[in-house]
Parts: sequence; C-alpha cells; structure tokens
Amino acid sequence: MDASIKKIVARYPDEKSAIMPVMQHLQRENKNFLSEDAMDQAASVIGCSKSKVYGVATYYTMFNTQPVGKFHLQVDTCVPGFLHGADAVVEHLEKKLGIKAGETTKDGMFTLSRVQDLGSCATGPVIQVNDRYFENMTLAKTDALIEALKSGKEPENDPSMTVISKCGVLLNDRTQKDCRTIAFYKKNGGYQSLKKALTMKPADIIEEVKEAGVRGRGGAGFPAGMKWSFLPKNDSRPVYLICNADEGEPGTFKDRQIMEFNPHLVIEGIAISAHAINSKKAFIYIRGEFNWIADILDAAIEEAKKDGQLDNVDIVVHRGGGSYVCGDETAQIESLEGKRGNPRVKPPFPANSGLYGCPTVVNNVETLSSIPYIIQNGAAGYKKFGNPNNFGPKIFGVSGHVNKPGIFEYPMGTPLKEILEAAGGVKGKLKGVIVGGLSVAILTAQEAETLILDFDSCVKAGTALGSGGIMVVNDTVSIPELALRTIEFYHHESCGQCVPCREGSLVIEHKLHDLVHGKGKIEDIDLILHLTANIKGLTLCPTGEAFAVPIQAMVTKFRPEFEALVKR
Amino acid sequence: MTNSFGEFENAKLFFLIGTNMTEAHPVASYYVKRAKLKGAKIIVADPRYQALAKKADIYAQIKVGSDVAFINGLMNVLITENLYDKKFVEENTEGFEEMKATVMKYPPEKAAEISGVSADLIREIARTMAAIKPGMLCYTLGITEHTCGKNNVMSTSNLQMLLGNMGMESAGVNPLRGQNNVQGACDMGALPNVYPGYQAVTDPKNKEKFEKAWGVNNLSDKVGLMIPDMMHELTTKKVRAFYIFGENLARTDPNITHVEHELESAEFLVCNDIFHTETTRFADVIFPAAAWCEDEGTFSSSERRLNRVRKIKDAPGQAMPNWWIFKQLAKRLGHDWTSNSAQEIWDNEHSMVAPAFAGIKYNRLEGDGLQWPCPNEEHPGTKFLHKDGKFTRGKGLFKGIEWTPPAEVADAEYPLVLSTGRRLVHYHTRTQTGRCGLDRVLDDKTGLNQMMSEERVDMSAADAQKLGVKHGEYVKVSSRRGAVKVRAKVTDEIPAGMVWMSFHFSEGNANWLCNNVFDPETKTAEYKACAVRIDKI
Amino acid sequence: MSKTIIINGKECVFDGNKTVLQIARENGFYIPSLCYHEKLGPASKCRVCVVEVDGIRNLQTSCSTAATDGMKITTDSPRVLEAQRMVVNLLLANGNHNCMICEKNGDCELQDAAYHLGIELPAFVVEEHEDKDDSGAFIIRDGNKCIQCGRCIEACNRLVVNEVLDFGFRGGHTQVVCDGNKPMGDSSCVQCGECVQVCPVGALIEKKAVGKARSWEIQKVRTTCPYCGVGCQQELHLKGDQIVRVKGVEGAKPNDGHLCVKGRYGYDFIYSKERLTTPLIKKNGKFEEATWDEALDLVADKFKQIIKESGPDAIAGVSCARSTNEDSFYMQKLFRAAIGTNNIDHCART
Ligand SMILES: Cc1cc2nc3c(=O)[nH]c(=O)nc-3n(C[C@H](O)[C@H](O)[C@H](O)COP(=O)(O)O)c2cc1C
Ligand code: SF4
Ligand code: SF4
Ligand code: SF4
Ligand code: SF4
Ligand code: FES
Ligand code: FES
Repeated sequence: MDASIKKIVARYPDEKSAIMPVMQHLQRENKNFLSEDAMDQAASVIGCSKSKVYGVATYYTMFNTQPVGKFHLQVDTCVPGFLHGADAVVEHLEKKLGIKAGETTKDGMFTLSRVQDLGSCATGPVIQVNDRYFENMTLAKTDALIEALKSGKEPENDPSMTVISKCGVLLNDRTQKDCRTIAFYKKNGGYQSLKKALTMKPADIIEEVKEAGVRGRGGAGFPAGMKWSFLPKNDSRPVYLICNADEGEPGTFKDRQIMEFNPHLVIEGIAISAHAINSKKAFIYIRGEFNWIADILDAAIEEAKKDGQLDNVDIVVHRGGGSYVCGDETAQIESLEGKRGNPRVKPPFPANSGLYGCPTVVNNVETLSSIPYIIQNGAAGYKKFGNPNNFGPKIFGVSGHVNKPGIFEYPMGTPLKEILEAAGGVKGKLKGVIVGGLSVAILTAQEAETLILDFDSCVKAGTALGSGGIMVVNDTVSIPELALRTIEFYHHESCGQCVPCREGSLVIEHKLHDLVHGKGKIEDIDLILHLTANIKGLTLCPTGEAFAVPIQAMVTKFRPEFEALVKR
Repeated sequence: MTNSFGEFENAKLFFLIGTNMTEAHPVASYYVKRAKLKGAKIIVADPRYQALAKKADIYAQIKVGSDVAFINGLMNVLITENLYDKKFVEENTEGFEEMKATVMKYPPEKAAEISGVSADLIREIARTMAAIKPGMLCYTLGITEHTCGKNNVMSTSNLQMLLGNMGMESAGVNPLRGQNNVQGACDMGALPNVYPGYQAVTDPKNKEKFEKAWGVNNLSDKVGLMIPDMMHELTTKKVRAFYIFGENLARTDPNITHVEHELESAEFLVCNDIFHTETTRFADVIFPAAAWCEDEGTFSSSERRLNRVRKIKDAPGQAMPNWWIFKQLAKRLGHDWTSNSAQEIWDNEHSMVAPAFAGIKYNRLEGDGLQWPCPNEEHPGTKFLHKDGKFTRGKGLFKGIEWTPPAEVADAEYPLVLSTGRRLVHYHTRTQTGRCGLDRVLDDKTGLNQMMSEERVDMSAADAQKLGVKHGEYVKVSSRRGAVKVRAKVTDEIPAGMVWMSFHFSEGNANWLCNNVFDPETKTAEYKACAVRIDKI
Repeated sequence: MSKTIIINGKECVFDGNKTVLQIARENGFYIPSLCYHEKLGPASKCRVCVVEVDGIRNLQTSCSTAATDGMKITTDSPRVLEAQRMVVNLLLANGNHNCMICEKNGDCELQDAAYHLGIELPAFVVEEHEDKDDSGAFIIRDGNKCIQCGRCIEACNRLVVNEVLDFGFRGGHTQVVCDGNKPMGDSSCVQCGECVQVCPVGALIEKKAVGKARSWEIQKVRTTCPYCGVGCQQELHLKGDQIVRVKGVEGAKPNDGHLCVKGRYGYDFIYSKERLTTPLIKKNGKFEEATWDEALDLVADKFKQIIKESGPDAIAGVSCARSTNEDSFYMQKLFRAAIGTNNIDHCART
C-alpha cells in the first residue's frame, strides 16, 4: 500500500469507509479515469469483493469507469440551469466541438456531458471542467473558456452574484480577502462560543438548543435539540456527528456560502455540537463536486487544530461521489461506510444505530452553523429572529427568472415578496415559484403573492420551505418541460432500491417525454397522476415523495398546458 | 466429526488444518465464512494460501508434513505459558505428563524451524486459541494422508483436549470426511478389523454374536488385510481373487504404474461398477450396478447423520442394486439371505446388530435423518460426542508424539514437493462429474468439464520464473515413479518449492507421481508429500 | 407469552418476534412479497407487501413491520390493492415478462402476485432490453426479467459468502453484476446456484433445465447428494424419470437449501449412454456380454475353488465409499459370513 493510500485509510475508524477516497485518489492519479486495475487495487486495499467496489464506483457519477477527455465539460442542465439558459450552452458546445453530449472529441481533449444540479443555481449556466466550476457562463465566455483550455491557460471563474445578509449570523463579509482565515474569524468573535460551550455541561447545551427551537435546515425542519436528546443514555458505543454538506437539492446553494467563505463557523458549530452529544469524531460529508470547498475546509480544520480549538473532536472531511440521495441521512451513513448510497430502512434510526451501528446525529451545515450564535447569545437572542416555532436566521437562495439572483440571509418568516424584491424583482411575468428546492410543490403566481417564508406558513400554503432554495419561473417556461426536467433529475438520482421510485420515475419520465414531444395521450396525464398519488408514502425513503409531490402539483395546477400538448 | 455442521455458524473460533473446505466441502465452507461474518476468528494452517486462508484472521503457512511439530509447538506454548484448561485435563484425561515430556522438546523456536511458521506466530495462535473458547478444530486429508497420518490425527485431539475444547457445542475435533459415504462404509464394518458398528472381530463375544445373527459358525477372528496389503498380496498370489466394488483404484491409488501392475497380477478380478473405468480394464467379470437415484438406501455424512437416498428410476438395462448382487453371490455360496430391500437390510439386520444404530429405523429417517449414536427408538440422536468430557474409553488419552518427516523429501534431482487433493468442480476420477454436460459422456465439453477440462499443476510465480515457465504452458512433471504432461497454473496459493495437483483426470493424474508409502497403522498413503521436478517442454 | 394481532378481522396468535408478513402467511393470508426471503430477512425494496396498519398514516411493508400485540392490519383494502397493483404493473412495464416461454412460468413469485392482483396485461409498457448472459456453465442470467430484488446478491454475499455478485450502476440502470461486471462465466463465480435458488422470477435459471419441463409437470423427491461428506439434502425436480433440476432442501439439515456446483449440477451421469447395462465376462482379453446367471455362477465357482484350494483369506474385497450403507453392509457380510474372511476394506482414509 503506498503511503498516500495508507494515510487515507487511517482517517477512518473502519477501513471500508476509505473506498471512495481511495478510488478518488486513484482516479486523480490516472487522468481522471478509474480503470479496472484501479478498482481491483481498491478492492484488495480495502479487503472487499470486486463487485462491491464496482458497485460503488458505478453508483456515483463522479467515478469514470470509462476513459474521458482531458477536459470533462459538464454542463448543469437541471432545473435552475435550464432556467438560466444552460441548454444553449450545451448546444453551442456541441456545435463548437463537433460532438454530441456524452461524447469525446477525437483528439481526446474534451468530453461533453449534461449533468444534474451542481449547486450553483444563481450563477448558472455553470460548466464544471474536471473539478473546477465556471459560473455565469455566456456563449462568448464559453468560447473563451474553450480557447483558454486549448492553449493550456488557467481560465478565471466569475462566481459573482447578489449577497445580502440582513441578519449577519451565518454569512460574513466575503469581500474581505482574508475572510476564510481563523485570524479574521477570531477577530470577529469566533471560537468564543466554543470556549464557553466547553465549560458548559452537555445537557445544558442541548437544553439551550432545544429552547432556541432551531429547526433543521436540511429540509425536514426537525428540531435539532430534540434530535440530539434522542441519543441513548449510558451507552458505551462511540457517538458520531455528521455534518450534512451534500447540498444536492436543485435550487439549493446555501451551505456552500458558509463553508466556502466562513468555514470556521461550521467548524465551531461542529465542535460545540460534538461536545453536546459527546462525540469524539465528526465527519463533514460534502458533495464531491465541491472539491475546492472541501480543500478550504481541510485547511481550516488544520488551522483550527493548530490553534488548539479542536481538542474535543476530530473532524474528517469526506467527499461524496456525485449522488443526490446521499443527502438523505441514512444514505449518507451508508455512503460514509463505503457503500452504495442506498437509504436504510427506518427504524432503527441513526440516533440508535447509525454510522458503524453506533449512535449518530446528522445535521445540516446551516443548522450546525447556527449553534455558536445560540451559545453566545442564548436561546432568547436566537429567537429575536423569526416567528414562534419558526425561529432564527435563514439563508435563502434565489435563482431562475429574477434580475439579481443570489443569496439572502433573512429572518425566518420574511414574506417571499420581500426576498424577490431584494433579488431585483421578477424578470418578465411570473408564472410560478418553487420555494423549497425542487422537491416541493410549485406555487402559482397568485399563490406566491402572499406567501410567508417559514416552515409552518409554507405547509399551510400547500408547499414546503424545504431547503429554502427559491426558483422563480416566468411565463416563457413551459410547465410540462419543467416537469420533464424535474423527473429527469429524480430518475437520474434514484438509488434504484425500491420499485415505486426506480420504475415509477422511469414511467413518468417516459410519459412526460412523450407529452412534451407531441406523442402523448390524454390517458398519460391521468396515469401520471395515478402514479404520483400512489408513490407518495410508498417508497423506502422520501425521494419518491420528492418527485411525486412536485410532479403532481405541476400537472394539477397547470393541467391545461399538458392537455394542450396532446394532438387531437 | 465429534460435532455437527449446524454448530459451525455460531462457533467463535475455527482452527482449520489441512482442510481446503472451499473446494472439497463447499457447503461446510459457507458456514465457516458465515461464522466469520458474525465475528468468529479463523485460524488456518495450510501449506497452500487457499481461499479460506485468505479470509483467515491468522494464517500459518506450514510446510508440507510438519503438522506434528507445529501442533507440539502450540501445545508447548499452552503448557509453558499456563494457558491450558487444567480442570478439563485433570477431570477428563490421562497421560498428560507423558505428553508433556514430549511436547517440551518442541519449544516454538524448534517447531518454527520444522514448520516454517515463525515462533511468534505459533505463540500468537496458541494464545488466541486459549483466549477464545470454545474453538472448533477441523481437518481433512491434509492431516491423514501422510506416513505419520495417525500421529497427526492424535495431535489434533491432544490439542483440543489440552484446550478443553471437547464435549460441547462448537468445539471438538472434526475430520470432514472426503466421500459422501466413507463414514457409512466404516459404520457398516467394511473394515478388516471390525464388524458393523465398530465391534472388533477379535473379540470372541462379537464373533459369537454375529455368528448367531448371521446363522453361520465360521466367522474369522483374524483381522483382515487393508487395501495396500491386499494389492501387494496380489503380486505374491497370496490373494488370488480380488473384488472391487465401485472404486477406481487404478487412478485413485498412488504410483499408478505400480498399482496397475498389481491389478494385472490378480488371478481373478471382479468389479461392480456403473461405468467402465481404468480399473475395470483389469477385471475378469464386471457386474453392472444401479447408481445413485436407482435404489433406495442411506448415506452417513461426516456429522454421523443418516440420510435417505431415494430411487427415482430403474437402473439401465440389466443393471442391479449392489446388495442384490452380493445376495445372489452369497446364495451361490450356500447362504440364503432374507432381506429384499435396503430398508429390510437396515431395519432387520444392521440396526439389530449394531447398538449405536439400534434406534435408527427407516421410518425415523423421513426428514433430516438421525445422528448416531442413537441406541434406542426414543433417542433423538447425538449432535456432538463426548458430552461433559466423557470419552468412549472413559478418559481421554494424551499421547506424546514425535515428529517424523515425510518418506520422500525434496532433493537436488527432485527439488519440488508435490502435494495433491481435490478441486471444486470434479470428483475423484471424474467417472461421474465428467459426464454432467449436455451430452452426458466423458469427453463432453459442456457442464462441469466446461469449468475444468484438464488437469493443471499449480505452482508459485517464483518457481515458474526460475524455470522459465509461463501460466498456461504445458510442462512435464516427473517423480521417481512416473511423469505427466500438464499445463502450469501459476497462482499465489502455492509457496515456492511446492507444487500441487489433483487426481481427477486419467492422463494428468497426480497418482502417476505419488509415493506409494503408507502410514504403518492406518495404511493411508502419503498423497500429500513426494518429490518431483518440473521441466519445460 | 403469546400475543395477538388482527388481520382482516381475524385474530392471529403468535409467539416471539415476528413480522406481520410472517404471521399473515402462517394464517393463510396471501400478501404478495418479492424481495423478502425467509433465509435473508426483509429488504423492504419491492414495496409490494404493503398493508394498512391501524393508526399509521402511510401503508407499511409487512415484511419489515414487527408485529406488536393488538395491532390491526388490513391486507385487502382498495387502497392496499391499488398500491400493490401499481408496484406489480411497474415491474411488468419495464422488463420482458413473456411468461409463455419463461422457465419460471407457474413457479414465479411475480406471476403469482400479478395473478392474485388480477393483472392480466401490464397497464403500461416501457421497454428497455438487455442481452442474456449465458456464459456460465450452468446458469443463464436474463436481465430483462430481473426485478432488482437483491436476493441473489444477499445470498451470494451473506449465505454462501462467495462474494461474486453486487448491484452495479444506479437507479433505473441498476443491474446485478459479477465481479467488475464480467460475464458470469469469466467471473469468480463458482456456480453454486444459491442465487438461482432464491431468485423469485425467471432472471436466473438453470441452463440444463431449459425446455425440459413446465413447473406443473414437476415431481419433487428429496435425496442426499452423492459427492462429498457434508451430506447435503437435495430436492430433485423430476419429469418422469428425468431430473430436470436439483434444488437444495430449504430448512433441511445440514445445508438449508445450499449446495455446491457438484451437488446442484452433477446429476446427469446416471443417464449417460456409457453406463454399464449388462454383466460382462472377459474372454480372450475382450469383454463379452453375459447373463446374470453366467456371470454370477462364474464368480461363485471361482470363489469356491479358491476357498477350497487356498482358504477364504485368498479372497479380498474393497467396498465402496460412494454407495449406500446397505450395499456396504451386504458386501462385508458376503466376505465375512459367506466367504469367511475379514479381508474387507474400503478407502476409509481417503
Ligand atoms: C433524498 C434526500 C436528500 C437530502 N439531501 C440533503 C442535503 O443535501 N443536505 C441536507 O442537509 N439534508 C438533506 N436531506 C435531509 C437529511 O436527510 C437530514 O434530514 C438532514 O441532513 C438533517 O439535518 P437537519 O436536521 O439539520 O436539517 C435530504 C433528504 C433526502 C430524503
Ligand atoms: S425512494 Fe427508494 S429507490 Fe428512490 S432513492 Fe429512496 S430508496 Fe432509493
Ligand atoms: S452461483 Fe453462487 S457464487 Fe455464483 S453468483 Fe450465484 S451465489 Fe454467487
Ligand atoms: S436476478 Fe433474481 S434474485 Fe437477483 S436481483 Fe434479479 S430478480 Fe432478484
Ligand atoms: S452439494 Fe457439494 S458440499 Fe453438499 S454434499 Fe454435495 S458435494 Fe458436498
Ligand atoms: S417483500 Fe416487503 S418490501 Fe419486498
Ligand atoms: S414467469 Fe415471472 S419472470 Fe418469467
């Protein structure tokens, strides 16, 4: 075993967890290609079967088990990308390179792919070249990018977008060059909360967090303090904390804003939470596409360690491999154990039997990043933001048809209208808004008019706040086409374990495809509604619901548009 | 086996020596692997780095034929480090001091020198076995097929008695029997020294009992010949007629040239068989026999379980059940036997004369059968032997055992050690497994032959390189007794200095090479060790 | 202490820890189930075994729902049946379930489910076909019939621990792979057939059984494997006197359904045209066919002559470690009682 692989393996309590990092390493060393030999090597290093390794490698989209070009151009054509005009970029590249998406140029320089959500929703269209992002692409910028790559230059990325923080809790001043450093962080009061927390009894921290009523920011809105208190008492097994940084829900790009520019906030949040739940080992499970952000986190953890901040917990940054479902906490645990990211059957719940069969807490980046503020300012301070049962600051991401897409830290309970205004107002005529990431029900322009953005109000309005990823759709967009994009995403991401999701998403995709391409029948519309109605609640994990709900809403709320597509 | 397969899955520790279950007893190996998934520790001692060795927690690559020294080394550690089960030894065994005196001559360093397993590893294994109990010891022919086979066997029980791993679940000494009914053939008294149910022929009481049961008065009280001696006496003409039932001695016995000479020397050779074999060529008369599925009956498995075999079709042509053939011969020799079916033979004859089987009747064998001893019809059968440390002879007897090397060791002329055995997809000389393709004839290229159609010699990459031999290339393997041409299979299973072959094929059969030397008592041949050389061709 | 649950109004008593599906089966309620297998436990993947549980909003998979005292279960409500029908329809939609020519016809758990749910034709069809893999010596894999239940994978990894199979790819592309997606015949698969034994549909079938018999023509006979000393229990599937396939006997000691390649596929030799069918006597170096009387008389006379001339110990015999106990018993009896010698042995130590 070479030294670098040994080092990777040593980071984990169980060597099986190292499968993905080892393969990522081997792929990087071999021109972005994971060969059969490399997989065999991984199998022998980890001590598992070849099929297991192959199964893992082919589950995650970022492993290339077929050779790819020197530059792998991956254009995000998922819903936000679609709204921002990514298809034009793909068509342009196809013409320019003389290949179709999915192909490689003859000289082996470029492979072009359409990919699903890259978590750069406000800065679309985005092209990922190997592991670098190029955002806010136009056709002219695409040409320049290709020329630069051809001539071996390091092209510049333009990640600019609107950033407004009304609360100033989670977002820092990213215009400062040294905003990521521990020095900057400490200058602004950083790590004081951790210091305070370490003097507190874990139970008291949990009480404070409970009292603050902080609800999970990963999408489900489950109270964090309550989740922590479910951990078994007097248990000899180690407790693990996982910071969920998978950020895969289309329309969502909030966690990366904290991790990329304010990494020490997450780290401090993790350290405090780990102390509260008596965890000595924590993981940040970050989606693999955010490789450079993972590097930032690694560097920040090193800094914090050197500064003596992390004596109570060891934090490991674990890169995902390209899978939306791995955002689900049990899938994430499986993935972290070096397996295919298939969600687990619950019960048992992670609090009782999670990572390596041990008590485990999974919390979202934004949730954990709220903890230092609560410790510092008390539950009362936190509750200054928001409404009862829906407290705290919240980061909203706005993408799609607004004039100034971007990221907005506002109190919970802010009216949608206010956020849309902050985002420069709707571009063109509003047709609908999806407020909680792609998995929630779309609202018509009229329904959106009076919406208040918090968990309970959204539910009342027949949708959900989810991750707070707001996608604005104007009247240039065909809803059946939007529905097709939506189901394509979920069909692509379905782990494939359970029938209603695996096969249901396939059938719905086929039927929507037929409809959009003028080959549909009226019965197809009813079939889609029949399927969505039955899939809800029938699947092993919430993913089935995550497409059944939005598809059902699009079809019922915009049915005439679907019917109009059926040739009589 | 002292224990049952059902006890494998919940065992906490396995000590596997000289057994390649994955290929020879595949279903047993599943249970070992499952035990491992449940957290059992697996220790494998084997010259070959075979599949279970690769899965083992501790693997000791012992040199061929060094088992006694290796086990003495383990026991030395157990005794010197005070790790053995004193209570069990005191209460249930005899001969400890005598055994100890011998074992003291094998400190780990000495055992290491002979076995090639480091002294540290020997210590680690001994300590592990002492720490995790109960532990199950399993062996197969890697232990018995040596000139010191009996000593090897006794060493395994010494070790388990010393550890107190006897007389309980998931412990014991478990020889996995090679053939489906080798246990049964022993149980039935197809042995020169015992009547059915292990009753000595030399005991006058037994003679009397069987004479009465069989209505005769001429039973011999003299122990008969064992196979190698029978064969030898064919050449001296002391044995004039030889009756071979089913076995293909011309390919299964060591030194084929010599064996064929012996068979050729027989004045009169009779065979019962279902196919022509290399052996039936020498016969004067061949009786066509019913095969598996063509007669009712029972088999006894390794775990002493009596299982039913059932008839689904008539034997082809005029072929008849073997018992019928024996009955007709007996009749012509003046004995009228009354049983007219396998069931009658069992229910009315065997179970009436063999006390350990007295409780077993066909009507009790419908489901999962019964494990003997089963002395009466209310008895549920016996899952594991020596319960609470009670041995058949009273107390378990320790024996001090000295290591002896194989009869033939590698030298300058024949520098490699050949060891032999079975492979997964074929059985013995392929009379049956060779005919399981779509055409059902021996030269069929489908079926099991598709998975393996010719013999290979397994060798190490180091030796292959030294000899300039490539994987898949034909080589000549020769010993002092013969030579075969086979393809080389270069594999990490084999250590340098060793090669390995099976006896499934007529031409590339390891028995052309094997040494026809035998354990002095059990007369088991030393299939596991002889000296060979490999030449490029 | 016994507990009770109520299924469709019927009180069902049970002991210990059981799932709703287990209790339903014990009490004669049919609930379709496609991924659950008794030996493997619940997988909760197919979602076809759903039932209504009083007090719980969503339908629950009965295979993984632990029964608790007093639980009320409905297995036949319109809501349950609609969900179950949808699942089965989805499976039929994407796959080539042409039962007419399928080896599993009549013995297929998917077909059973469709039948019970009254599905005559798939309600919708989406076709994506894969090639069959017939590279294995004995097993044909037909991905078009695979319902991704995962039983084969669990069996290969957890029961026989040969670790050949796993799922490869994801979502709708999920398929069972051998090693690094090799044809089965080129993979490390040892053709033990455990995966075939647990497959609920016609996705894994025995090559030698193809076209030999419809499931309803099959008679089953239990017997013991003729090869090694483990003594595995086999279930012979017969049409007339022909073995169509061999399965391991589920729940039997010692093998609980498992077999190895020899036990499962090494049965045809009994039908070989190379079998000996008549007594043979060697005359002038050549074997000639003889009647039983001729051959038996010849042997008996020769034995008598030798006994008379050289005594019984001039005859020796080797019994067979492969044949039945009763055969060995009679052979040693022949030697001891009729000939008068203990010169009887067999390859006891090999
Ligand atoms: C398919 C699916 C994808 C998910 N993706 C994410 C994600 O990317 N990030 C996240 O924090 N939570 C995600 N979740 C929610 C997590 O399962 C979990 O509820 C959350 O991480 C808990 O953290 P919180 O309580 O702090 O919100 C996802 C859930 C599902 C079912
Ligand atoms: S619903 Fe089922 S198939 Fe879909 S992601 Fe969840 S577990 Fe996988
Ligand atoms: S035949 Fe046996 S080894 Fe091969 S894939 Fe099936 S279960 Fe695994
Ligand atoms: S091959 Fe059979 S057992 Fe395996 S996943 Fe497919 S349907 Fe299930
Ligand atoms: S099936 Fe295999 S393991 Fe079982 S008895 Fe037969 S040969 Fe032995
Ligand atoms: S049998 Fe219950 S989910 Fe498949
Ligand atoms: S009949 Fe069900 S898969 Fe063939």
